Amino acid sequence: MGTISSAFSMMSQALDADQAALNIVANNVANANTTGYTEETPNWQENQPIVIDGVSYGSGVTETGLTSVRDSVLVARLDQQQQLASASASRLTALNTIQALFTPDSGSSSSTAGDIGSDITSFFSSLSSLEANPTVSSDRQAVLSAAKTLAGDISNAAGSLNSQRSALDQEAAGVASQVNSLTTTIAQLNQQIQSSSPNGDAGTLEDQRDEDVSQLSQLIGINQVTTENNGLSITTTSGQLLVSEGASYQLTTGTVDGVTDFFVGGTDITSQLASGGGSLGGYLTARDVDIPGALSSLDQLAYSISTSVNAQNNAGTDLDGDNGNAGNIFSEPTEVAGSAASMSVVMTDPNHIATAGLGDGTGNNSNATAMADLGNQSIVNGETASNFYSNFVSALGSTVSGVQTENTAQNASVTQLQTQNSALSGVNLNDEASSMTTLERSYQAASQVFTMLNTIMASALNLGDQTAVS
Amino acid sequence: MEQIGERRRHPQMKELVIEASRALALLDADRLEELALSCQALNRALPPATREEGTVLAAEARDAAGEMAVFAKVLEATRANLNVMSRLRELRAGRLEYGGQPGRGWSGTESGHGDN
Repeated sequence: MGTISSAFSMMSQALDADQAALNIVANNVANANTTGYTEETPNWQENQPIVIDGVSYGSGVTETGLTSVRDSVLVARLDQQQQLASASASRLTALNTIQALFTPDSGSSSSTAGDIGSDITSFFSSLSSLEANPTVSSDRQAVLSAAKTLAGDISNAAGSLNSQRSALDQEAAGVASQVNSLTTTIAQLNQQIQSSSPNGDAGTLEDQRDEDVSQLSQLIGINQVTTENNGLSITTTSGQLLVSEGASYQLTTGTVDGVTDFFVGGTDITSQLASGGGSLGGYLTARDVDIPGALSSLDQLAYSISTSVNAQNNAGTDLDGDNGNAGNIFSEPTEVAGSAASMSVVMTDPNHIATAGLGDGTGNNSNATAMADLGNQSIVNGETASNFYSNFVSALGSTVSGVQTENTAQNASVTQLQTQNSALSGVNLNDEASSMTTLERSYQAASQVFTMLNTIMASALNLGDQTAVS
Repeated sequence: MEQIGERRRHPQMKELVIEASRALALLDADRLEELALSCQALNRALPPATREEGTVLAAEARDAAGEMAVFAKVLEATRANLNVMSRLRELRAGRLEYGGQPGRGWSGTESGHGDN
């Protein structure tokens, strides 16, 4: 090979390579605002060396293709945090709706589920009033009115919870088709990516696949495994295969015990999906844990009040002189489950409220005293009805607060990772070292802030205690 | 606008904690360093001059407990993210040191003609 032409060839190749690099830069700039676009960097390949008088010289470089600057470790961490954030967000939405149901509405003229606490107090107060005037008709009617308000609010609350559960069930079922659409596309992209690897770089296709995986991870909890030739397999967090390179496996649904269950290849994976993350995990946790928990508490409350009050009414004498068989005030539940939804007042005649003790005549108040005392007795799981309800609402608030905290922190984490990902993979002038330094500085400064705030708060609380003691 | 002679309202502890969480989520290192200085100043001002101030501060501390829980969680997530990024940096450094991915770009060709 002649030396002059070789030198020209080297220069020419270098210029071609530069031009290709410029094209890539132009492509990066043009796609700067495209969601999921990953910066492409040119691959340079060394040409065969040129030998001149027995001395080997490098022969320049050729641009051989594109490599997208993406890092699977960071992307996987981002996807994992997005799964958690999506799960807590959808669960939080459901929990906020439940909490709103039990929050008193001061602007409402009619009684609602939010008034159950005051309904309990009013009902037992009406019995105390009747204790003072056992034969007064209006006081008897007031007891039945208070009972109807209490039963109506508990029953409506249970109805609202069941409706919310059905709505969440539909939301969850709708996620399955979105998951299937994404896994089908990812499998198709896998085939295309693998057919162009290892010699080519399928940057655009990989960006598209990353975007689809990111969307999938917001819907359900997944694990990703990179396979040969840049392929990708995806499983649920519990290990059920959804995508294996070019093949996808459908998530199917079926009704089990009145709700939608999820299957892969005939295996019911509903409970694994609930704990797996993504919005589906959040919906399922709210549907299968939070709402049943709230319903269970309401059922217990309704069952205990109904059976205790009915038993006491049948232990006295009513105004008509019925001894020990005055009848039930509330509908008598046969089991705890479903007691709230079916709670109602069955007594229509206020004269059947047994205010007198057995054999004490009809004008006596000893049984009214016993019924009013039920308000102070531990009739619901070892607690008074008021305390049981108050603790239930308080526990619900605590759950909402905990999920809110998790969600805020997870969103913060996602924001941090997106910032890092943009600096690393996006079309951005910041380099990796600078973004890492920012992360380290932020963490160190935040640690200092946290430590000092902790000390300040401990001292402040201590000062408050000393003030209270002195 | 603040009037002359009007006493500047000092930020509630809760606001300070929310601001710290927000700055950490956005990796606003400058703001966090400012907040660290503010906390140092606040710490130096303890104990408060009067019993009333002590009571107010204690109430503020109780009020900020939920926000502190959020801040603690964000800090915990940041530490995990920092670990991921540190590991990533080590992997990248290793890749550079040992010549990158085999069979692509420079490394494959270099091995091919024995320059390295």
